[in-house]
Amino acid sequence: MDRLQVTDLHVEFGGVRAVDGLSFSVREGEILCLLGPNGAGKSTTLDLICGKTQPTGGSIHLDGVEISHMLEFRRARRGVGRKFQVPSVYKDLTVDENLSIARSKRPGIWSALTRFALTDSRETEQILDLVDLGAKRSELAGNLSHGETQWLEIAMLIAQDSKLILMDEPTAGMTIQETERTAEIFRSLSANHSLIVVEHDMSFVRSVADRIIVMNRGAMLAEGSIEEIEANEDVKTAYLGH
Amino acid sequence: MSSKFQFELVALVIFAVVIAFGVPAVMNYDGFELNTFARYLALAIVSMALALSWGVTGLLNLGQAATFGMGSYAMAMHLKLRASSGLPDFMSWNNVSELPLFWVPFNSLAFTLLAGLLIPAFIGGLIGIFMFRARIAGVFVAIITLAFLVAFQLLVINQQGLTGGQNGLTGLAQMTLFGWAFDPYSMGFYYLVAGCVTVALAIGVYLTHSKFGLVLRAIREDADRTRFFGYNVANYKTLVFCISAALAGWAGMLYTLVLEFASPTYMGVSFSLAIVIWCAVGGRESVIAAAFGAIVVNMLEGRLSDIFVEGWHLILGVIFVLVVMFMPRGIFGLLVEGAQKLRTVGRARPGHAVEPLSTTPLETNQER
Repeated sequence: MDRLQVTDLHVEFGGVRAVDGLSFSVREGEILCLLGPNGAGKSTTLDLICGKTQPTGGSIHLDGVEISHMLEFRRARRGVGRKFQVPSVYKDLTVDENLSIARSKRPGIWSALTRFALTDSRETEQILDLVDLGAKRSELAGNLSHGETQWLEIAMLIAQDSKLILMDEPTAGMTIQETERTAEIFRSLSANHSLIVVEHDMSFVRSVADRIIVMNRGAMLAEGSIEEIEANEDVKTAYLGH
Repeated sequence: MSSKFQFELVALVIFAVVIAFGVPAVMNYDGFELNTFARYLALAIVSMALALSWGVTGLLNLGQAATFGMGSYAMAMHLKLRASSGLPDFMSWNNVSELPLFWVPFNSLAFTLLAGLLIPAFIGGLIGIFMFRARIAGVFVAIITLAFLVAFQLLVINQQGLTGGQNGLTGLAQMTLFGWAFDPYSMGFYYLVAGCVTVALAIGVYLTHSKFGLVLRAIREDADRTRFFGYNVANYKTLVFCISAALAGWAGMLYTLVLEFASPTYMGVSFSLAIVIWCAVGGRESVIAAAFGAIVVNMLEGRLSDIFVEGWHLILGVIFVLVVMFMPRGIFGLLVEGAQKLRTVGRARPGHAVEPLSTTPLETNQER
């Protein structure tokens, strides 16, 4: 069964159709990459799926359940995780506390009232070792470097353990080695998570994408494997102009 | 258990020991002095309650005095009924011939104690639900709570026959519990207030170090991001408003017992803003620091307002401006920064062993 099914999705901002009749689906354990020129509606599509923006038309189904008009925290509870373009970690909280927030299997107030903020967990340790932040557990996230902040955010998404993870430019500002590490982590994540990745770095896309969708002016321009996309004439025109 | 938590627990124990043994000894077990200090302790609770909503969650509640006043009036209504045979005196002066219905249950002490906590909590929660469901945040929270405060104070003043109006509720009886009358100038009464402060602070410390407190701090930093992790931000904010209001109500009840009257000035704008100042001076991130701030500023006021009768509010205002400009994290912030500096100095000296409390930024940088 499809993890995510997007059907005829529309959204308008003051007369501009940012997303215009978009339909696609994501299978379990698949990495789908969204490509397209600036303003094509890639980030807006992620916003619509995670609930940051409300669609003006169309529907979004997660595991067969309609989520298009749910509040964002309900979607998150159902298994939609989101990484934003601008790294958004909690700068005044420590690395450990950031992960504790992200580990939100029980987000209710009662369970929050009856537990301490930091419980030593092997899971947290493993995740931090994976992104090489084990030595910085008690550090304030605001003191981390840009690269480390990116890693922390990826660690938070792993800790959140969502069924569907939406990534907006995860490798922005990373070195080549870091990008390779990220690709590795993504491939291991795809064993039991579905991912939608918006990315400009084509070598990264090549190494992780199971399938690619190219968007232009809010609609789908092409869909297929990396080879199919690179051979597509429409895509070349959209990127390079006439 | 994190080092911050251990640190706060130690601070709480020191605070409790000082107010239980140190303060009475310094004041020579003098009833009048202890009554004055008990007043500061009651105010420490309301300051600490504001730290929960303002410092921890980032919701500047300028209506804290309204919930404080509700607790204060609840207690005063009970004591007024105990003091009067039949109708309270001010009602007959205002041509109210029958005890109003909402006064009747305050004949019961148990009801009064519950009402003093639950009515503020309910009102706080009600305002909270409307604001936070609609995702009102930032300065608008301050404006709405301030507007509520002003409206509520006007209501209390205008309903003179029901509330005593501008005069408040005076001529109160002493509270009696299990046959023991609470003489506000006795040692026993001082210990009651001191115990209440300690319990309230323990609740506050637990809350800030529970997962609940962590989520609140996350909400303060980035409420939207927190929603995307599945937390119902509106509910968290509403609950912290309820808890803060209940604590303020508790403080209000104690305040009435200490001063033996209730006045509508307790619900005034200047009182509400004073709470904000105490909280800021002590340090709004920590409940203990906020309580400490309330005690320090009020002791200062006690000494200085005798000398500068007219100018005291001006001095208080200047203190607030200076705190905001030069120590935005209050006395607590100074302590934290001082501790960090001491630790780095200690580490720089070879052979001078300093027990690492936590991994400071500097320490990890050196490791790398």
